[in-house]
Amino acid sequence: MELYSPEGLRIDGRRWNEIRNFECRINTHPNSSDGSSYIEQGNTKVICVVQGPMEPALRSQANSNEATLEVNLSVANFSTTERKKRSKSEKRMVQLKTTLERTFQQSVMCNLYPRTLIRIDLHVLSQDGGMLAACTNAMTLALIDAGVSMYDYVAAMTAGLHDQTPLLDMNGLEENDMSTLTIGVIGKSEKLSLLMLEDKIPLDRLESVLAIAIAGSHKIRDLMDSEVRRHGNIRSSKLAS
Amino acid sequence: MIGNRKRLSSGLSVTSKVFVRSRNGGAQKIVREHYLRDDIPCYSKACKVCHDIIKTDAAGELPRFILSENPSKTKSGLRHYIVVDTNIILHAIDLLENVSCFYDVIVPQTVLEEVKNRSFPIYQRLRGLVKSEDKRFIVFHNEYAEATYITRNKNESINDRNDRAIRKVASWFGTHMKTNHSENDIGIIFICNDADNRQKARAEKIDARSLVEYFDDLPNGEDLRDLIPSDINSGVDFHNENEASFPEYYSNSRIMAGVKNGTLYQGMLNISSYNFLQGTVQVPAFRKPLLIVGSQNLNRAFNSDSVIVELLPKDKWREPSTTIVEESNIGSNDNANDEDEEDVGSAGSGVVSDKERILLAQEALKATSSSAGVQKRLQPTARVVGIMRRSWRYYVGQIAPSSVSSDDTGNASKSCFVILMDKVLPKIRIRTRKAKEFLGQRIVVVVDSWPADSRYPNGHFVRTLGEIESAEAETEALLLEHDVEYRPFSKNVLDCLPEEGDNWVVPDLVNTDDPKLKKRVDLRDKLVCSIDPPNCVDIDDALHAKPLPNGNYEVGVHIADVTHFVKPNTALDQEGASRGTSVYLVDKRIDMLPMLLGTNLCSLKPYVDRFAFSVIWELDDNANIVKVEYMKSVIKSREAFSYERAQTRIDDKSQTDELTESMRILLKLSKKLKQQRLDAGALNLASPEVKVHMDSETSDPNEVEIKKLLETNSLVEEFMLLANISVARKIYDSYPQTAMLRRHAPPPATNFEQLNDMLSVRKPGLSISLESSRALADSLDRCEDPQDPYFNTLLRIMSTRCMMAAEYFSSGSYGYPEFRHYGLAVDIYTHFTSPIRRYCDVVAHRQLAGAIGYENLDLSHRDKNKMETIVKNINRRHRSAQFAGRASIEYYVGQVMKNNEAEHEGYVIKCFNNGIVVLVPKFGIEGLIKLEMLGDVNTAIYDEDKYELKFTDLQGKERRVAVFDKVNVDVKSVKDEVSGNRKAQLLLR
Ligand SMILES: [Zn+2]
Repeated sequence: MELYSPEGLRIDGRRWNEIRNFECRINTHPNSSDGSSYIEQGNTKVICVVQGPMEPALRSQANSNEATLEVNLSVANFSTTERKKRSKSEKRMVQLKTTLERTFQQSVMCNLYPRTLIRIDLHVLSQDGGMLAACTNAMTLALIDAGVSMYDYVAAMTAGLHDQTPLLDMNGLEENDMSTLTIGVIGKSEKLSLLMLEDKIPLDRLESVLAIAIAGSHKIRDLMDSEVRRHGNIRSSKLAS
Repeated sequence: MIGNRKRLSSGLSVTSKVFVRSRNGGAQKIVREHYLRDDIPCYSKACKVCHDIIKTDAAGELPRFILSENPSKTKSGLRHYIVVDTNIILHAIDLLENVSCFYDVIVPQTVLEEVKNRSFPIYQRLRGLVKSEDKRFIVFHNEYAEATYITRNKNESINDRNDRAIRKVASWFGTHMKTNHSENDIGIIFICNDADNRQKARAEKIDARSLVEYFDDLPNGEDLRDLIPSDINSGVDFHNENEASFPEYYSNSRIMAGVKNGTLYQGMLNISSYNFLQGTVQVPAFRKPLLIVGSQNLNRAFNSDSVIVELLPKDKWREPSTTIVEESNIGSNDNANDEDEEDVGSAGSGVVSDKERILLAQEALKATSSSAGVQKRLQPTARVVGIMRRSWRYYVGQIAPSSVSSDDTGNASKSCFVILMDKVLPKIRIRTRKAKEFLGQRIVVVVDSWPADSRYPNGHFVRTLGEIESAEAETEALLLEHDVEYRPFSKNVLDCLPEEGDNWVVPDLVNTDDPKLKKRVDLRDKLVCSIDPPNCVDIDDALHAKPLPNGNYEVGVHIADVTHFVKPNTALDQEGASRGTSVYLVDKRIDMLPMLLGTNLCSLKPYVDRFAFSVIWELDDNANIVKVEYMKSVIKSREAFSYERAQTRIDDKSQTDELTESMRILLKLSKKLKQQRLDAGALNLASPEVKVHMDSETSDPNEVEIKKLLETNSLVEEFMLLANISVARKIYDSYPQTAMLRRHAPPPATNFEQLNDMLSVRKPGLSISLESSRALADSLDRCEDPQDPYFNTLLRIMSTRCMMAAEYFSSGSYGYPEFRHYGLAVDIYTHFTSPIRRYCDVVAHRQLAGAIGYENLDLSHRDKNKMETIVKNINRRHRSAQFAGRASIEYYVGQVMKNNEAEHEGYVIKCFNNGIVVLVPKFGIEGLIKLEMLGDVNTAIYDEDKYELKFTDLQGKERRVAVFDKVNVDVKSVKDEVSGNRKAQLLLR
């Protein structure tokens, strides 16, 4: 099949600037966590659970100035077509974990919670491209659910380049074949809290790729925002009654 | 299996495609998203609704509507669009490309994908048709359109589901055109050669027809019917009752396993040009090629097919045949005499187990690596057991007169044989009703199949080129034979040219907002001139020189700035990239880029401003480089010289103007550059190049002369080499992984084995040394025959044939030491100086522009894989352009000789046990003299060790002829009545 046909259609039938089916739920595991969320971006599916802010188990983990974020990323063996055991110490997994920790260290108002630990557990159930973006979005929602103060939403999106054409929200097949850019945008701004480029994109093309990725992130922010508001309304109506 | 559809807020629907793939025995479930949309237009100009639903692409452009509002009519008066089925495309792609039928064609995406899976080359041709828009082909993405997408039913096979999807496209278009069209009634005809599918389609009220039925309803249907390929023309049966059968090919799995465990080998078949029943396959496992002898072992493989071979048992190993066999010599309707019929029965039976095969491979390895000993010429033999990729293309040939029965009067199609121009290929059986009409004409045919029970391949007629030996037919034939694209440039290519056309001028450099224009350096004050062959119209290089106050010289090479006009990824660029090079024939030039650029806007014509890419050196008195700079510039050439006029002007002592003086500087420096190169070991090889003079009035060829070289030829050449080397260093420095370079590998010693052996036997004391290019050059200089001054040139010609071919490559594919250009004796080299006629130079220009920060380099020239594709293509195009050029000269030399029969000197360059090959320097031709033309066949003795043939000549005198002997021959040109080829016929005096 053609990755991007001359008629302007991608391998799954989308056009260049269309995002995949995006579904999100907040407060999915109210009993076992302080905050939780579930995200589907196409066939990439992630669950996120947040514990904390809480006392760290070890004194040495405590930072007297701000909260410590600890991300645990686990990818299910059945998340890809070929079942494969993934170890947490795999280089790529460590890289993703640190990227997520650094991104949120800046977006969460950590200074409000000194000497505490915020633990975030991410479970990737299914992978079809854009795993880092889905994890970021899931974390944002779960942290909001946990009531942790943040400066704004961090909404993440991927984009790639096929010859001259920037493509938004890459699925797994596309990601295998093109260089992929993942960004996390703060709220409705054009400020980035996350930028990861796998392989390379020529500098003169980067701008166009970034532009659609930012536009895509804004769309995701709005979708997440309406879910948060929906949930908020349910909660407040319960409180009222 | 398909999941449920779900409508999204964006207007799309999403569903999932679930399928199961088996891998390594296990099953895998794959789930993919599949989006359905309602904004896919019908692309018909007649449609009134689709213009409202379309969306722009990333560049902001809207899709173009292609299908005509007034499509052609059938005999019965039906205006129609065509929907095609997969099999029609796979089997009749030539017809789809034919200009006399198939306009306004709808290709369903389902069909496109099936074609892509079945044959990538045909898919590419189909995509080419869609892209060019000339024939108004469109791809309709039915799988993504909500209205036409269908889910697979329970127990329905994938093929049935796809057939149904294709029919759905036809019926959707039918209703769509009926409800939304403007005034004209436009019908949809579904062409499909599967009767069952047609029946289902008719039940769904679709106008379904077979290819024959469709053609019968076309006004020009009569002419088209002959063009229908044999394998889908149902009812045609080629099988003759008592035909030889070939061994079946191995199954795919057996081939895969065999290649993996090292008992089968894959390689490209190379048929000997002297014996069409003998071929060689070079495989990486062995140092020498494997020999394949006899039609049973060749097993239906064509020259340059990619084949799978299996070694034969050791007792079948043999020396390469020293006999000449040509297909055209063998009667065209009787059976070819296989040299090795005794092999037939035993072909597969000798070797049984894999273990034995591995032992055999070890033996073969031994035999190929030892170069001495009694068995020195014994070569392992093999047989073809499978074909990975056919090299089938268009072939030019003529109908064998003997295969057409003279009492044939009916209008029914009869089968006959077509003898191909390329004599290493077998004849092809076609069916036509017009065999008699085509006698004596060059015709184009295509091969469709070669079943195991058929002695000859089956094909079908495509078109006729015209009378044999008419200049047009022969020229077109040789372009086709060498796969040269010669059709005029399509409209979307020409659309990329500047709007001003011939009136384009260099814009004002000073008052401009264009940042790139500001970067250009104004060199119009330099005394630039160009030196080229007489009447050259595409001038891609010009030079200037001037003395500097410090005693050094400033020398500039200015190259046509083609990449200013040819921007990456435009249709123009893609056409240039696919042509790869211009092709020069004796009477015709096939351009790589449209005329407007080549001969005007880019051409560095005198007296006008032109954009150029300049390399400017500071050279010291010994032509050493002190400094080099590269810049995009504007120049104004003062004069366009021919080599001869430049030479006269330099030699004329009375001329002392600045321009002449600067040419003298160039000449002086060029001589020093040349000496430096020769000292470094550059080779001075020879090829028997000749030039054909045409009568200026009748444009008939009337004279042949050997090209002579003037000092000014070498002047230009030296500076072009210098520019190429300097640019190569610069772009390699900036793009170490993808720089476009050219290398020339040193010849492997085995290439020279036979020539050195001939020398040691025939010319004791002489030999060619291969230690280094310097050693080779020196040893060639020493190879003199005091009695015969031409001997040295002859040896240079023969050595050239032992050399490797130079090749383009991107710098990532080799290590730096392997960049070396052996022939020029430089460490790095590229082609930069002829961007009008070579695509390599276009890439080098872009890379240099990127390297000096003039503009960003396009991604395609920074990507290893894409560069690999470019390089592969231009290497192939370069080779075929050379062959085509040579073939054209050969043809015209033949025409000249036709009227000038005479006795000439020749040299024996090859000896076989039934003939000799003689080279005639005067015409640059070589010809075979067969033993029966020399003398008594029965008394001839061929002494292989001495390369000597002993025979009694026609006068009864005993004679010996050996390699390197100078002989007198009668040269005349004769037409071979069977193949229609004109050949030089030589007769020994
Ligand atoms: Zn329409």
